[in-house]
Amino acid sequence: MLEAHIIKQRARFRIDCRVAVAAGETCGLFGASGAGKSTTLACIAGTEVPDDGFVRLGGETFFPPQRRLHERALGYLTQDANIFPHLRVSENVGFGLTNGARGEGEAWVRELRERLQLEPIWNQPAHAISGGQARRVALARMLARKPSLVLLDEPFSGLDRHLVRELLATLVDWQRRLRFTMLVVDHEAEILERLCDRAIVLEEGHVVQDARWEVLHADPATPLLAQLLSPL
Amino acid sequence: MPVGTWRWEGSGTLDAARVSIGLTALAMLVVVALGTPMALYVARCSPRERLWWQAVLLVSVLLPPLALGILISLAFGQHGLGLFLEQFGLSMTNTPLAFVVTQIYVSIGYYVLGAIAALDSVPRPLEQQAALLGHSPWSVFWRITFPIARLGFAVALSLAWVRALTEFGAVVITAYYPAGLPVAIWTSLENFGLPAVMPLMIVFLVTALPLPWLAHLLAQRRSTQRA
Repeated sequence: MLEAHIIKQRARFRIDCRVAVAAGETCGLFGASGAGKSTTLACIAGTEVPDDGFVRLGGETFFPPQRRLHERALGYLTQDANIFPHLRVSENVGFGLTNGARGEGEAWVRELRERLQLEPIWNQPAHAISGGQARRVALARMLARKPSLVLLDEPFSGLDRHLVRELLATLVDWQRRLRFTMLVVDHEAEILERLCDRAIVLEEGHVVQDARWEVLHADPATPLLAQLLSPL
Repeated sequence: MPVGTWRWEGSGTLDAARVSIGLTALAMLVVVALGTPMALYVARCSPRERLWWQAVLLVSVLLPPLALGILISLAFGQHGLGLFLEQFGLSMTNTPLAFVVTQIYVSIGYYVLGAIAALDSVPRPLEQQAALLGHSPWSVFWRITFPIARLGFAVALSLAWVRALTEFGAVVITAYYPAGLPVAIWTSLENFGLPAVMPLMIVFLVTALPLPWLAHLLAQRRSTQRA
């Protein structure tokens, strides 16, 4: 189970956000742009340090004290793909695999390669691929290790709509099969609803509602949330 | 002004070249071994602390070589560290050790400042992502940071190499002997005039140029490949 209480001062407001996601559950962090969603996720991942609070996964405490990044068993996909430009696509995907896992996980990596349509670029240098391809490489690289916790920050921004539809279906399928815990940040409710059972709604760093989607639609806690959930 | 017939013999050209290349190479090994972790620390520390370290490094770069030579002589003189070193039979006056130590002092600032700039060119999120994929800080440095920053490191090293190899003002105070190329040029000018200096200048260019030139060549090839 992921349990976190993130307190962090931002320029305009203070983030004070509690997150609890059961093992194998999927949860969205939803809100308008600049509500503190990405910072909360980065604090859980460990790339930012909270001012106070705690982050726990299973029996392990990630904060406080701040545990080093390589000791955290989680996958984190940021808004930028952050693929390693000096490596090939195949080397990027296999980067997190130890020698032992590389042999055992061969079938899994093959599946990632096929379903994320990486075959045409598999042996290409990573600096030569497009932005959309880079995001798929980053997704494959993160999932190759089969992490128990997956954190996604706007995973499909900048991708074509038909590709987003395919990737959503693929990701939902993998989550059901591998049963990893998933926390997803997005400002598009449509994407989060496809990926997550429920959502925690943030406004200026504070949780205004934590509920399943049908409840959020039926009884939004704030006028802003009602607006965000209403069709264009 | 006519130079006259170049004088190749009798000016200790080969000995000076051997001293310069051998001892400068040794100094560069120490500069890389000490300077790389130093640069890593400064590049990753808080902005305020970084400013202090950069000021310290700039002092070694900005001081006139003659002043640096005097400072080194004072630090390693009979009342300073020299007394301690003499217990181990090491002398810091006119010895290869003095030559190497002086070269390290005059060049390490250039290497560290260049290496910091090279490290700054590596996006921090790439290193964080590599760590989140289970790689220790050591592994992240060798597999991500260094390969991306290596050309910056090469340029930093070539600058330090040129600075150390061409050093005259500080070396002439701390290590007049063994004479490297700059000191040999000076003594040749004093003793034999321009005809003895010209061959030394040719040897100097031939020995000093390859490393920085290679670094720039590699940088150019890499940017062409990326384009």
